[in-house]
Amino acid sequence: MVPEEEITPIRIKFTKTGSLMYISHLDLVRTVQRIMVRAGIDIRYTEGFNPQPKMVFTPPLSIGVESLCEFVDIKINSPMSTDEIKKRLSENFPDEMRVLAVYVPTTKLSDIAYTDYIINIESPSIDENTENKVRELFSGECTVVKASKKGEREINVTDYIKSLDVKSSGGKMSANVVLCADSENYLNPELFIKALREKLGILSGDVKNEYYSVMRKEMLQKDLKVFE
Amino acid sequence: MQKDISMILRSVSKPGRYTGGEFGQVVKDKNKVDLRIAFCFPDTYEIGMSNLGVRLLYGALNGMDEVWCERVYAPWPDMEEQMRKNSIPLFTLESKDSVKDFDIIAFSLQYELCYTTAVNMIDLAGLKLFASERSDEDPVIIAGGPCAYNAEPVADFFDIFSIGEGEEALPELASLYLEMKKNGTYTKKAFLREASHLKGFYVPSLYDVEYNDDGTIKSFEPKYEDVPKKVEKRIIADLNTSYYPKKPIIPFIEVVHDRIMLETFRGCIRGCRFCQAGVVFRPVREKSAEVLNEQAKEIYKNTGYNEISLSSLSISDYSCLHEATDMLLEWTNDAKINLSLPSLRADSFTKELMDKISSIRSSGLTFAPEAGTQRLRDAINKNLYEEDLMNAVRLAFEGGKSQVKLYFMNGLPTETYEDIEGIAVLAKHVVDEYYKMPERPKRPVGVTVSVSCFVPKPHTPFQWEPQDSLESLSEKQKFLGTKITDRKIRYNWHDARVSRLEAVFAKGDRRLSKAIAYAQKIGVRFDAWDEYFDYDRWMDIFDKCGIDPSFYANRRMSYDEILPWDVIDTGVTKSFLISESKKAYENKTTPNCKEKCSACGASKLGGDVRWCPKKK
Repeated sequence: MVPEEEITPIRIKFTKTGSLMYISHLDLVRTVQRIMVRAGIDIRYTEGFNPQPKMVFTPPLSIGVESLCEFVDIKINSPMSTDEIKKRLSENFPDEMRVLAVYVPTTKLSDIAYTDYIINIESPSIDENTENKVRELFSGECTVVKASKKGEREINVTDYIKSLDVKSSGGKMSANVVLCADSENYLNPELFIKALREKLGILSGDVKNEYYSVMRKEMLQKDLKVFE
Repeated sequence: MQKDISMILRSVSKPGRYTGGEFGQVVKDKNKVDLRIAFCFPDTYEIGMSNLGVRLLYGALNGMDEVWCERVYAPWPDMEEQMRKNSIPLFTLESKDSVKDFDIIAFSLQYELCYTTAVNMIDLAGLKLFASERSDEDPVIIAGGPCAYNAEPVADFFDIFSIGEGEEALPELASLYLEMKKNGTYTKKAFLREASHLKGFYVPSLYDVEYNDDGTIKSFEPKYEDVPKKVEKRIIADLNTSYYPKKPIIPFIEVVHDRIMLETFRGCIRGCRFCQAGVVFRPVREKSAEVLNEQAKEIYKNTGYNEISLSSLSISDYSCLHEATDMLLEWTNDAKINLSLPSLRADSFTKELMDKISSIRSSGLTFAPEAGTQRLRDAINKNLYEEDLMNAVRLAFEGGKSQVKLYFMNGLPTETYEDIEGIAVLAKHVVDEYYKMPERPKRPVGVTVSVSCFVPKPHTPFQWEPQDSLESLSEKQKFLGTKITDRKIRYNWHDARVSRLEAVFAKGDRRLSKAIAYAQKIGVRFDAWDEYFDYDRWMDIFDKCGIDPSFYANRRMSYDEILPWDVIDTGVTKSFLISESKKAYENKTTPNCKEKCSACGASKLGGDVRWCPKKK
């Protein structure tokens, strides 16, 4: 076997959009494993009785969130050009996943500090003035209850917002929001929506007239440079 | 995806069940196809996606350029609630289009307890449950699968039943539809009549059923002369050349059988007298080891799965098993693929086989002696001796396994309390066998005894049998509990009430449809799921509909009675079934197909059969 340190690390940047927003991170990991096999990419496995492919992913995407910037780091045993890897992966990705780039990384996945989301909401309750209300809401403390396996606790959404740019017109609003996404501080964008729902009454649950989507647009480093 | 569907998916459990979009799904341009089929599986996505038959038919139908076949699974109650609340009708996974707008809706009926879920799907589509109430413009609703062998309890809901193997039959039906649409002769009525002339299609509305005063069937006759008196099942003649899905859909979410499923052969040489599959899949047809290996390689390349399961009714009876496993093991180990062999028979479990599957990580093996004594095993024609089982478990233990699971049945015809006690004795012998071995693994042995209840099934030698009463079955289950004293033996048993409902539907006739329709109306679904099964509610439903469940489940039928499923011809003759039924009471066994042909009748169906005597 090739010694660990001599193996080239490879980073794959891909999208996960459309109905795939409902596929959990765990399911995504299994899906990517199978893609690697189908694509014939000789990926490094763990040693031992139950060998597993070595793959490191970006922070898990919450269910219901689409992404234009997912990353997975792998190592391959036998040399293969990044172009070849990209070609093979593209042939084996499902329709709503797309390979954007394959390259040798110069950064670490742990360099990711923030995530830039685009949130679009359609609701009859939205008007020109909604954007001001949203800005005001997040100018001070804005607490919502976060439910997790460990139980429920109150968090202040504003603490996690690095920047917010919001525009609204009759029936529609669009927010570009940068949220904390490092290992200690991570905000699920769903909680941002929850704050809008609970504090401003946007999105009442009428699925015939309301709609929203959340798109992870970019990952950012501590210095706010785009992570690649 | 439509916005409203997308929004409700945010509030339901496991939304991945409803999204589609998997690698391998078939998407066509709906404006360029002439026939759209919605293939419905009346259970969850996880169960339905694990069904090999549906995958075969999905691929076979989509192989036709003019046809686009899409998938639909039963929405879980939380999803159903959201759909009804927001007026979202049942939709397919591929296009998310409403099922109601399709040309043909096909159902796979795999087990009796899916009936309410199936008719609920018809209701969710926004269609009338009863075929007679649907219009000419409504889709044609067809069904197939094992339950079609006695489709009578649901006959009123469906237009056509596909009997037997459908990979060739369904494309024929689709061609008939296309042809009649093209030449302008299509009306639903005309189509159904033409379909009844195709081999393997049963159109229940073309038959009149009359009943005697005692509730038995007086006559069961076709309404017209051109409609066949008996519908002969379809079989695939040659498994080596028939269609096999080489690019299966790969689910995103975890499903029950998330692996490569390779069908090795159809049918079973054994002829256990309780087993319906053993009759309806006759005659035995095998796939060659070469074809199997090629299919495995190709599917592996197309899926990336790391497990291959060799499927059949009894894998150790596959005459090319050693050849096939040798060929597979040549490359599967290097590719880190596990090979699994479910449905092992104890008497053909060898050291060689054990060595081959020892790479499998599980520490256990499962065998199905079905009955506790040799007397009863002979009566049911299991053809398995205690010595065979002991040899098998010894081999398993020597191979490092320490867990053995044993399947049995309670309530089999001719069963006595001695037979039930025999289950405990046999399980104890397995435990003892372990401790007799000086070189046993360093773990304590675990034997699981799993006991289900006998359900008499149509087309089997036991089809005339009454099911044991609920009281008797419960008593037997308790009795066995008192006989199993060794703490290394774990005992679990099936809910006898579930089995009773299965028996009612398995042996039911057309009069049950009103109970099923009523059950759907009051919210009964997912009967096969513990959390939704409600026996008392069902008894109440039968009561309200004037149906006596004992008439179906607990009555001995006579050999000369007209059975609700007599209209279906499986190839196996009634006289063979009667002779088998009589032999059971004499504790006489029948040799398996490999040893000697017993002239069951199925060889008339032809095919590239492995064991039947060749026709002169």
